[in-house]
Order: sequence, then structure tokens, then C-alpha cells
Amino acid sequence: MKTASITRRLFLLSTGAAATGLIVGCSSAATKSKGYSSIAGAFEPNSFIQITPDNQVIFYLPSSEMGQGILDGLTTLIAEELRVDPTAIDVRHASLHSDYKNPELRFQGTGGSNATRTQFLPLRQAAADTAAAIRNAAAKQLNQPAHKLLLADGHVTAEGRRYAFGEFVALAALMPMPENSPLRGPAQFDQIGRERPRLDALAKSTGIAVFGIDAEVENLYRAVVVRSPVLGAPLKRFDATAALKQPGVVDVVEIRTGVAIVAQSYWQARKAASALELDWEKTELASWSSDSIYQKFTQTLNDSSQKGLKCCDEGEGDKLLNQAQHVVSADYYAPYLAHATMEPLNCTVAVDGDNCAVYLGTQYVEASAGAVVYYGDFDADKVKVHPAFLGGGFGRRGLGDDVAEAVVIAKKTGRNIQLVWSREDDMSNDFYRPAALVRMQAGVSEQGLIETWAVRRVGPNVLDHILDQWVDVLAPDYLNKGFVDWLSKLGRPLFKRFIADPSSADGIFSDYDMPNKAVRHVAQDPGLRTGLWRSVGHSSNAFFKESFIDELAQRAGIDELQFRLANMKNNPRLTEATELVAAKAGWGKALPGGHFHGLATHSSFGSAVAQIAEVSVEGTKIVVHKVTAAIHCGLVVNPGIVRDAVEGGIIFGLTAALHGEITLVDGVIQQSNFHSYPMLRMADAPKVEVHIVESQEHPEGVGEPGLPPLAPAVANAVFKASGQRLRDLPLRLT
Amino acid sequence: MINFQLNNTSVQVDIDPDTPLLWVVRDHFKLKGSKFGCGMGLCGACTMHVNGEAVRTCTLPIAAVQGAAIISIEGLGTPDNLHPLQQAWVEHSVPQCGYCQSGQLMSASALLQKNPNPTDDDIDVAMNGNICRCGTYSKIKSAIKSGAEVMRTQESIVETFDPASGKSIVKEASS
Repeated sequence: MKTASITRRLFLLSTGAAATGLIVGCSSAATKSKGYSSIAGAFEPNSFIQITPDNQVIFYLPSSEMGQGILDGLTTLIAEELRVDPTAIDVRHASLHSDYKNPELRFQGTGGSNATRTQFLPLRQAAADTAAAIRNAAAKQLNQPAHKLLLADGHVTAEGRRYAFGEFVALAALMPMPENSPLRGPAQFDQIGRERPRLDALAKSTGIAVFGIDAEVENLYRAVVVRSPVLGAPLKRFDATAALKQPGVVDVVEIRTGVAIVAQSYWQARKAASALELDWEKTELASWSSDSIYQKFTQTLNDSSQKGLKCCDEGEGDKLLNQAQHVVSADYYAPYLAHATMEPLNCTVAVDGDNCAVYLGTQYVEASAGAVVYYGDFDADKVKVHPAFLGGGFGRRGLGDDVAEAVVIAKKTGRNIQLVWSREDDMSNDFYRPAALVRMQAGVSEQGLIETWAVRRVGPNVLDHILDQWVDVLAPDYLNKGFVDWLSKLGRPLFKRFIADPSSADGIFSDYDMPNKAVRHVAQDPGLRTGLWRSVGHSSNAFFKESFIDELAQRAGIDELQFRLANMKNNPRLTEATELVAAKAGWGKALPGGHFHGLATHSSFGSAVAQIAEVSVEGTKIVVHKVTAAIHCGLVVNPGIVRDAVEGGIIFGLTAALHGEITLVDGVIQQSNFHSYPMLRMADAPKVEVHIVESQEHPEGVGEPGLPPLAPAVANAVFKASGQRLRDLPLRLT
Repeated sequence: MINFQLNNTSVQVDIDPDTPLLWVVRDHFKLKGSKFGCGMGLCGACTMHVNGEAVRTCTLPIAAVQGAAIISIEGLGTPDNLHPLQQAWVEHSVPQCGYCQSGQLMSASALLQKNPNPTDDDIDVAMNGNICRCGTYSKIKSAIKSGAEVMRTQESIVETFDPASGKSIVKEASS
């Protein structure tokens, strides 16, 4: 093991970002500003790469590393074109800068499983141009023709002599910067496609990787917030007399979401919190419980006067439904879910006069910075975000609510503070995966082809809550705050009355050849805030679609694999994945006694995934023995990480399928910690086998697509094992 | 005043006696490798060794560790001197988000101290208190097995660490 270089890299990874990775506007008149602070003598061709005279290659990672392996993936792209060993690159989390914007999201953030897809060419181009600049400088300095120089392993070789890149950075910085340098082709790849341990494995196996909660600044106090038991209810009154007498407590302040207690230590703050006396206003959410929500959804589903908004209309819509040979109708339900990232939300804020520095793990660096400006009234150019590793993201971390609390506490108390949410805070103040009740209807021909596909979905949307969160913090700061707040509230009426929130219907009418489609969504929202949960709409819609596909196949009397293949003639990627998984799992072959296979196939975030779950039933217990998966995600950067991400999605999906349910009684979330919102543990984790379809096509997403097919694959196997068609999540046998 | 051994160094701390060991180690001694996950001993992210046993330190009052020997992840090994399990963790590319892995490693290393050749069931039982939200269980299990194999073939190493820096002070081999 190359200890010295690895230790140096780890040092930078764990502490360097906080020390250096943050600047706002260091531009001189001559050069465009870069996303990092300048290092004397270094070659700084773009915001991603710095090469120092002593041959240190630094890469500023524009995406957040939350477990999905993007640190490894994007560093590999740089290494490939720059001709440097990826383990020798110092990787730092990029702070806020326009050069780091997500090309699809249009702001700096990580989501939608799009980082490899969107950065595959731009980052390689940045590295290839940098390598070309080194080559040109070396040619001039060594007086050699450029094409005779060999670049490899961070060195230039000329006439048998090796020179470190660093020897040419001074000249490279003075020469014209090459553009559109040719990229290496797949036949030349020696980093892309190679399997090796992920680059952050060592830091994360030794406790030195720095997460948001590990931030330390001078004179740091710890804060906790007591919030309403009914999410979002305003504070009526509070009495801090007793809390202020508790040891270590220095401040008690009211903030927008409740009351913050600031103490010398976390434990002191947490203990003092129970001494607070609080009264809360009653809100509409307090009138809802899970039972009444389900009843209301059912009533709406059956109320044909509520037409709903159009998500999809193709062919004859649902007009021909009843003319089909087989007409099937079934209602399905998926509950609210919490994210339960292992690292509870936290945010550390250091205020120095007009300057504000925030330390946290965040998927959305720009929203986190915006929250400091919007809620803390700081000038945008005085705000520094110090991103850290994320102890899980899954769509939860960095929405701005963490920063909004922390920055106001710091400002009101005039102290540097670390706000730490308890597990209970985290679970009861989430942006939940929305619940949904759907009616699936289809007409299938005598030959087993789907003719009509009709869906009526009832439930809350995602985007209106997220827009409320994001418009505030992402809007330009020259806009009037009242106007921005008004604007941010428009999502709800917009997605209730005018256009369907596309994320609500994501994946519910895709993948198969269905000539006639009618998909409607009736927005019905009790007011529990909802958000982006790993794979978003696909997380529940794949369960509805793929369970129902099995029902159709069974009604038509056709094998579930053959039924799918016959109905996905226009979906070559999913077909390849499906055929591969069937071959690998041995679909149709004999299984151990009492074991049954269930199949599900689903495309999301550009990738196609097919899964076969091997399941047995013991009384009312569902035992998942093995899950075989195949993914078609285009060209693979690191196959190990693709397999990990798919397996991770399967385990995450199985926790949800077997256990996941957030319930309310009078508006109060009933789950608080891992005893009432259980996670799959090692003994219950099935054996997972992931196969990758060979492909040279452009890379697609892998962080999320492994999740959606899991629940229906299990449910489809449970049906065969028990005869019970489970149409509600989580799956419970009776 | 509570006295105990932290990563083989004598330390003392004057703090509210009901403060959980986790917060003492993280915020007083500034060793940040052990993580806060649930505060109820349900997830295992905070696991350390207390007199050789894997213990959930988010619910262990500091008063209860008077005179005890505590090992945190910083005392298990360092990047320059990895414990065989940490080496296996890297080779198997175990971590995803990584937040739970310190606790996983402490539970696994406590298991191997008692049972150098665990079966799958032994591993399932010993690791039952540690949640991984990213789903790295199968790799954890493989890494435990290969780490155990390495440990069975090499002598045990005892190390002493400065708890403030996490750096090795003394290194000696014992039989």
C-alpha cells in the first residue's frame, strides 16, 4: 500500500476542504474566477483541477459524496484523461461556485442519479485539455515534438526520461489553454471500467472521514431545537425558566420552527430540552390520522366527479378498456416513508462579523448557501459553505431547513453553534415520501398484449413542498423576500389545479408497449410535507405497475417473464436486462422446496433494472433468500460501485417493502426511532447478485434505479408462495 | 472526576456523570470517528470496546466507565497501521456513505477477539446491533471472514495511542 500518498490524500480529504476549498470570487481582471482558492505557482486551468509545482494533483469534486460512490467515479474520469493514478489525486469537496452547477438541475446540487451521466464528457474534457496543456508546455520546455511525449502516471516521458507534471506547470500556466482536445476511446481506457476498491474506503474504515457532524470550530456551542409534535405548527408560547437553570445552558431562543436551547455540550442541551414548557397552535394537519387519510384517499379515488390532472393521454385513452378480452382492475397503496439517514441532520455555523461559514454534509450546496442568505440575512458573497461527507442523503440532506435553523440560532445568540437533530427530531421532521392510493386498470388482448392502460392516482405531490423549500433559498437575492415567499407557495395551487406534478406519476405508465393510455392524478394533501425519497415517484409507482403487470399475466394465463418480454418490444435496454436476470436466476427452473421466484422490471434515471426475488413464507413471515438483479446503465466507470449501488438499493427497498411505514395520529408521527421504524439488519439481508449488461452507450444513473423493482419482485414472489396478492405496502401477510 | 483508559492512555474528565461516553469521546477528547445515530443503543454507530466488549456508548453514562479500558475506532488502527479488519474493509471496498462503519468495525473486532473463526450465524448475531442504511451487510460479512483469516495467521499486535491526536505512541508485539 502506498502509505505516504494515501495518507496525504486522506489528510486533505478529511481536513483540507475545510481549510481551503472555499472561496467566493478570487478573480483578477485577467482570469475568470475559479471555484477554489489559488495556490502559488500552481497550474489552474479550470475549477476542477489544480496541479502544483511539487506534482500534487487536486480535484474539486462538484458532486456530493453520500455513499453512491461519485467521489470514486468522477475522480476516475479525471484520472483517465489526465493520465494520473486515481489513488494519487487529492480530492476535495467543491464549495459554492457557478462552475460546479449540476448541468441538469441548473444549480449546484446532487440528485436524480445524474452526476456520471452529466459529467462524463465535461470532466473528461477538462482533464484532457489540462493534459494537453502539460504536453504542450513539456514539448516547449524540453524542445521535443509534442507527439513524441508520453503522458502516464502523472509524468511526462521524453527520450526515456521521466519528468513529473509539476515541472511544467509554470510554463503551462503561461501558454494558451488548449480546447476540445481529443478524448481517449473505450479501447484505450485503463481507468474507466476497471474494478478496484473505492477511493474513500480507507478514510471511511479508519474513522477519519469528516462528516458534517464532525465539524469543529473555535468557541463552539451545541444547540438542539424543540419542535411541534405536529410538524409545522407555530409556537403559541413557551417558558424557559426551568431550562435556563439547567447546567451548561447559555441561551434559549425562539426560532421559526420552535425553541432552541444552546449549551456548552450536546448532552446538556438535550437534557435541558425536556425542561422547556411549550404550547403550540393547532393546524389542519392535527385533524388528520393515517386512517382518515386512507379513507379520504379512497373516497376521492371513487369520486368520479374529481377528474384529476392529466399525466398522460395516448391513443384512445381509456375508451376501449372494456372491449378487451381481459379487463383487470386493482387498487394499490403505498404509505408515507421517512429517509432515516444514518447521520441525523446537523449544521455547524460560525459567524464572524458580516461573514458566515457553515459546515455540513449537503446534497444541495447552493440551497444550503441560499438558506444562510435568506434566513440569516447575510450577503451572498460573505457566505462560505464547507461541504463534508454525507452520512447518507437519499434526497433528504441539504434542503435548507437544517441551515435555516442553525443560522438563525447563531445570529440570535451571537455564538458559533452546532445544531444536532436527535434521531427523533429527524424522523418526525422529515420531508416524507408521499403516500399514494392508485387504481390500476388494463385491457389485455387474447394474445396477451396490453391494449389499454388506465391509472387513477390519489395523494400528495412532491414538488409543491420542495418548491416551497427551494424557491426561497435559490431565488436571486435581489428579489423582495415577501415576493419570493409568495412565489414559493405557488407550487401547491399549481400542481393541484393546473398541471400534474411529473414526479407523482414517474414510471407508472412507462416501459411497456401500451397503445392506449390514460393516467390521471388527483392531488390530495393532508399537509404533511413531502419530498425526494430515493428514486422519488418510481419508489412507489414501480410497485404499482409491476405488481399489476403480474396480475395481468396471470389473468391472461401467460408466464410473467414471457408476458413482459412480449409487451416491451420497444424497450431494448429493459429487454436485455430482463433476459439476463432470467438466465442468471434460472427463471422457471426448480427451486428449493417452498421457495418461489418473483420478477419485476423497471427503468428509471436512464437505466433499466430487472430483479428476481427468491422468497419463502413461514406463517405470516416473508423470508427473502436471494435477489438477483441485472442493470443496463450504459458504459460502466467502476463495476464494483455499480453493483454496490444496486445492492444498496435492494436493501433500502427491502427495508421499505417489509417494514417501512410512517403513520399519524392526530397529526403526530407515530414513529420515532429504529424500534418503531425498523431497518433491515444483517441476519435478514438476502444474498444479492448483481449482473451488468455490457454496453458502450453513454453512462446512466445507478444510485437510485436499483430500488424500484425490489418491492414488486418480492410481492410477486409472495403471491406465488402464499396465494395472497399484497397490494398495500409494507407487505404484510394475514 | 472520572478516570479511564482511552485507547490505552490514562485520561480523566470532569463532566456531568450521566453524559454518555460517546459525547465525551467526540466532543471532549475530539475523537470524531465514533458516530451518533440514534441515542438509544439501537443502531450501533457509536460502538466502542469497553473492557473488550462491544458497547453502545450513546447510552453508556461516563460514570459507568470509571477505571474501564475504552477502545474507539481511532485505537483500532490508523491509515498507516491498519487493523487486519480495516485492511479487509478497504480490500472489499465495504463502505458506502461510511457513517456506520466505525461501529461495524468495533463490533466485528470485538467478535474476533472472542471467536477467531466465526460462522455466518455467529457473525449475524454479533452484528445484529449495527444498522447499515446503505446496505453493505454482505460485504461486511465477507470482510469479517477474510479479516479473521488473516488474524488467525498472524500474531496479535498491541498498540498505544495518544487519544488527542489518535497517533501511535508505542508499538509492541505481544504473544
